[in-house]
Formats: sequence, structure tokens, C-alpha cells
Amino acid sequence: MAAGPAPPPGRPRAQMPHLRKMERVVVSMQDPDQGVKMRSQRLLVTVIPHAVTGSDVVQWLTQKFCISEEEALHLGAVLVQHGYIYPLRDPRSLVLRPDETPYRFQVRLWGAVPVLLAIYLAKKNIRKQGTLADYEKECYDRLHTKISHAWDLVLMQAREQLRAAKQRRKGDRLVIACQEQTYWLVNRPPPGAPSVLEQGPGRGSCAASRVHMTKSTDFYKQEIEYCRRAMGRTRVKSSVCLEAYLSFCGQRGPHDPLVSGCLPSNPWISDDDAYWVMNAPTVAAPTKLRVERWGFSFRELLEDPVGRAHFVDFLGKEFSGENLSFWEACEELRYGAQAQVPTLVDAVYQQFLAPGAARWVNIDSRTMERTLEGLRQPHRYVLDDAQLHIYMLMKKASMSPPSRALSAHALPTLTLSQGSAFPTWLGPPWPLSCQCSVLSTHRVQRRRTGPDHMLKKGQVSI
Amino acid sequence: MAREECKALLDGFNKTTACYHHLVLTVGGSADSQNLRQELQKTRQKAQELAVSTCARLTAVLRDRGLAADERAEFERLWVAFSGCLDLLEADMRRALELGAAFPLHAPRRPLVRTGVAGASSGVAARALSTRSLRLEAEGDFDVADLRELEREVLQVGEMIDNMEMKVNVPRWTVQARQAAGAELLSTVNAGPSSVVSVEERGGGCDPRKALAAILFGAVLLAAVALAVCVAKLS
Repeated sequence: MAAGPAPPPGRPRAQMPHLRKMERVVVSMQDPDQGVKMRSQRLLVTVIPHAVTGSDVVQWLTQKFCISEEEALHLGAVLVQHGYIYPLRDPRSLVLRPDETPYRFQVRLWGAVPVLLAIYLAKKNIRKQGTLADYEKECYDRLHTKISHAWDLVLMQAREQLRAAKQRRKGDRLVIACQEQTYWLVNRPPPGAPSVLEQGPGRGSCAASRVHMTKSTDFYKQEIEYCRRAMGRTRVKSSVCLEAYLSFCGQRGPHDPLVSGCLPSNPWISDDDAYWVMNAPTVAAPTKLRVERWGFSFRELLEDPVGRAHFVDFLGKEFSGENLSFWEACEELRYGAQAQVPTLVDAVYQQFLAPGAARWVNIDSRTMERTLEGLRQPHRYVLDDAQLHIYMLMKKASMSPPSRALSAHALPTLTLSQGSAFPTWLGPPWPLSCQCSVLSTHRVQRRRTGPDHMLKKGQVSI
Repeated sequence: MAREECKALLDGFNKTTACYHHLVLTVGGSADSQNLRQELQKTRQKAQELAVSTCARLTAVLRDRGLAADERAEFERLWVAFSGCLDLLEADMRRALELGAAFPLHAPRRPLVRTGVAGASSGVAARALSTRSLRLEAEGDFDVADLRELEREVLQVGEMIDNMEMKVNVPRWTVQARQAAGAELLSTVNAGPSSVVSVEERGGGCDPRKALAAILFGAVLLAAVALAVCVAKLS
């Protein structure tokens, strides 16, 4: 139902998926038994069939999809804006009025080329003897500048198309002219009207599906490849997936500025950038919401620069932070410059992995063997296994207490002690039994004592 | 003369393409039928024949090195118009293919979109084929084979366009069109305005209406003459 001129070779035409859904709705409206009720449009002498009223359309949508009237009105308005239904009385305003205003359907075509627009405007010029709207005149002049070499063709085609149209009945001619007008109103809207065909950046990358009448071997090869890829995809039961989705939305809902509003005000609306200043990546006093987010998962904590800094602090106080330092060094290796890979690998080995190193990290023997072997030919991802192991270790160790306790403890102190240089922790340190077990003996001595040390730091506020 | 011949061929091709475009507009709508598909087939075959002959003629002329500069400019102008027209034809054929596949006329039948177009399009097809009138009777499953042929023909036209570009190199920006912007307004003597929202009743140029009007006029004239004779006899 939607067609257009061929795309330039090598670039697939992106037909937006919502258009196919709209087409299905429009086609189901055409059903003779269960479709929308049709009336006739009566001009002075001509009678043109197949007109519908706005209220009929809204009522049909409400019944068919069991939706509220407001939603049906919105859906109908979207159909009109895309040109599937066009108004008969006021052709320039593409809105759906839920009353007796008549409308009619049309088969939508896509793809507007400048030459076609030029032909349309020339035809309109001939028909209306030069009285075009202002923006149309502007368009006409601009097109003439752009494709002046094709102007002979434009005028020849315009005249011939008008002569061909004369072979039809008056009613048909009117309908076809209305259809063309709607088509160009949708594809080249007048200034000030929103364009429904705008695609945001990075969208519309679905490949066009060409019509294949004769199925060649290439076609079948593509189909086989497509099915193979589809079978290889992992599948999750929708009940599981939906539950996870619901809990995610419930947890993150209050944190989303679009859903729950943002304080102090939306900078895009009020032109006041306090919101961005307060939520800058490195800010001395993070907001309450941000600190709460650290409690959601370990990754949130690590990804937030302020969170990571606090975690480093905390690790430094409680027990040695070599795990996190190792993790950070691995990240640097992965994302750093190619030229520095050998030196970095060497440094990491000397500092973290060599037996008797200053900040030795505890990795299990198998991973250690693999890593040491890979170190003979160092590349960017040679420490991936070890990094993952350390990450899981940190995460398991910090699953309930650190992130949540961090945020729970940091929360009152961080937000209230705005003046102090360092936020302080309250309360006893949590037991990290699994972490303790992997600590080697020589590091136990470096563990600091807990509460006394913290209290000595001063400035405790609740 | 080569120029007149090319011009005549181009005019014919232009006319057929315009008629084909007009016919494609109604595919998928309420006037879609097997007859329409057959008319489309005949029109596009005629258009393709004309395209092939025009292409051959123009290519032969333009590849001739010993052509005068102003003549070459003239032929290049015709060439640009011809290739633009061929692009339009290809686009319309693709459109017809997609719409024809989306709205199959054989069983299982999808409901066609009720667009309000109810009349026959045989007049347009007749104009395209340069005949007086056209009467076609297509079989029930004409569109199935037709779509396959159409796909082949679309590829053929695409190939023709590629070959044209290979053989003759005409830079588009050097061609000056003969008609300026707004030239269509100067020769609108016989175009006849029929605006979109006009509600006046105008003769559609169909023969039955004209014949009816002529008969009515004749009858009124006869009645007037009879009355005059009666009055003359009485007085």
C-alpha cells in the first residue's frame, strides 16, 4: 500500500514500521461488513461515493480496539496527519473532527522527488491561473533554481497529465486532485505545520523489503541466513522479562526526569541550568537521588565518578583497595592508546600480578595461569579474564552492604554536611567475611580499626 | 530531419508516461480491476517501445562526433528531458509493482481501499495508445502473471537507464531548458481551469454529453421554427 520511487542503490529505504501498522488498520476499515460506514458526498450535481464522517471513524476505532474515545481520537488524528484519510471540506487542515465533517480514504504513496513536486506545482499553476499560495510560489522558484535543466520535462509532463485527467469523469478528477493535494501537504508541509515524516537521528535503519515475484537463489540464501540468525537469538520468557521490566520501571521511575519531573526546574523550559550544575559528573556534593542510585547495583556505583571516588575512599579506609586499582588499571588498558599497551601491561604485571608485588590481587590459579601465558604476547584484552574475576569478587563482596550501606551512610552525611571537605561514615563497618577469607595474611595487619577511627575523624552529623 | 523525429518520439513517450502515471494513481483503490491491470500492461508496453526507439535514435545522434555545437545543445536538451521521463516511468512502474502485490485481485481477496474513484479509465488508456476507444476483457487471474512480467520489465528499464548513462555523457548542469518558469501560464488558452473545489458543472468533454446537447439544441430550434411558421400562417 505504500510505494515510492526506487532508493539510490546501496542505501535501503527506511520505511518506518509504524506505517505498516497504520496501513493494516486502514485496510481493516475497508471491510464491507465490519468496516466503517460509507456515505456519499454530494456536490452540486456530482455525487462521489465513499465518504466517511469523523464521528464514524472514531466510533469504529473505539469498538474495534476496545479503547477509550480519547485514544481513538488520537489514533484517528495520526491517520489523518499521515494522509491515509483526508478531509473534504477544509483540505489544508489535517485534523480529525469527531463530528459530521466528511473524510475519504486514499492509498498512500511514499517518496517525494523534486521533479514530482515541480510537476505538481506547474499543474496547479495552470489550473489556478497563477494564484498559488505564497509558500507554494516560493517552493516553485526554489525548484526552478535547483532543477532548471529539467524544466522542459516538467512543463511537458504537467500539460500531458492534465490532458490525461480530462479523459475521466468529473467526480474522479476531483478525487484524484484531492488525493494529490493531500499527498503534497503531508510530504512537504506548509511552513509552520509539523512534519510527520521527520525521523530523529539514528533512526529508520530497517532495510526496505523489496517485492519479489520471482524468487531467485539469492533471495532464498538471504532467507536462510535470516532464519539462522533468528534461531541463534537467546529467548527469555515474556513473564520473566515483563517482571524484570516492571521492577526496573518501579525502581527507576522516581529517578527519571521525564517521568517524575526534575527539580529545581527543567533547563530546557526555564533556561536555568541549575539542574545540570548540580548533577555534573564531578561535583562535591551529589544529590540525594544520585546517592540512592548507587544502592541499585554495583555497576551504578562504579560508573558514577563521584560514587567511584567514595568507594575508593571507603576501600582505602577499610581494607586495601588494590582490587579496585587493578580494575581501573585494566580499564585504562582496554580503552587507552595502542602504543602504550606493552608498557601498561608490564606496569600492571609488576604492580599487581607478580608474586610478591606491592599490591598483589588474589586471582584463582587457573585464571592466573591463563593471564600469565597471555602476557607473553600482550594486547589490549589480555587482562580481561582477570578483570572479570576481580569485578565479580568486588561485586559479590559488596552486594548488599557496600553500595546500599554506602548510600545509606553517605546519604545523611553527604547531603547535610555540605560544608565539610570530606563526608564521614557513620555506624559500624559491615562484616565482609568472604572478602576477609581471601585476604592474604600480610595484608591483615594493614586493616584499620573501624568505628573508633571513623569517629576520630570528627564532624559527625545526622 | 533528425530533430523533428526525435521531438515527435519524445512527445509520444511523454504522453504515454503521463497516462501511465495517471492510471497508476488508481491501483489499490475502488476502481482497481483486472481491466485496469490490463490497461496498465498495454500502456507500459507501448511506453517501453517508444523509450527503446527514442533511446536508440538519440544515442546514435549524440555519439556522432561531427555534430555542430548548437545542434548538440539541442539534442542534449532532448536527452535530459528523455532521461527524466524515463526515470518517472521507472518510478511509476515500481509503484505499480508494489501496489499490485499489496492488493492482489485474485483470491484470497483483500478489500480494496474505497477511494471514491468509480469511473472507468479506458479513456486514459485509449489516449495513451493513441486509439479512439479501448475495450478490454481481462481474465480472472490476469494480475498474477502480469506482476511477474512487471518485475522483469522494471529491471529491464533500470538496465536501459544504466546503459544510457554509460554510452552518452551529458552533464545536466550545462543544459539550458527552453521554457522558463511560469511559461505554463502563457499558453493556457486551451488548458481550461477546473479548480479543485469548484462546484460548477462543466462538460467533461465526453461525446455523449455533447451529442445530447446538440440534440436538445436542434429540438429547441425546430420548435422555434415551427412556432414562427404557425405565427406566420395565423397572421
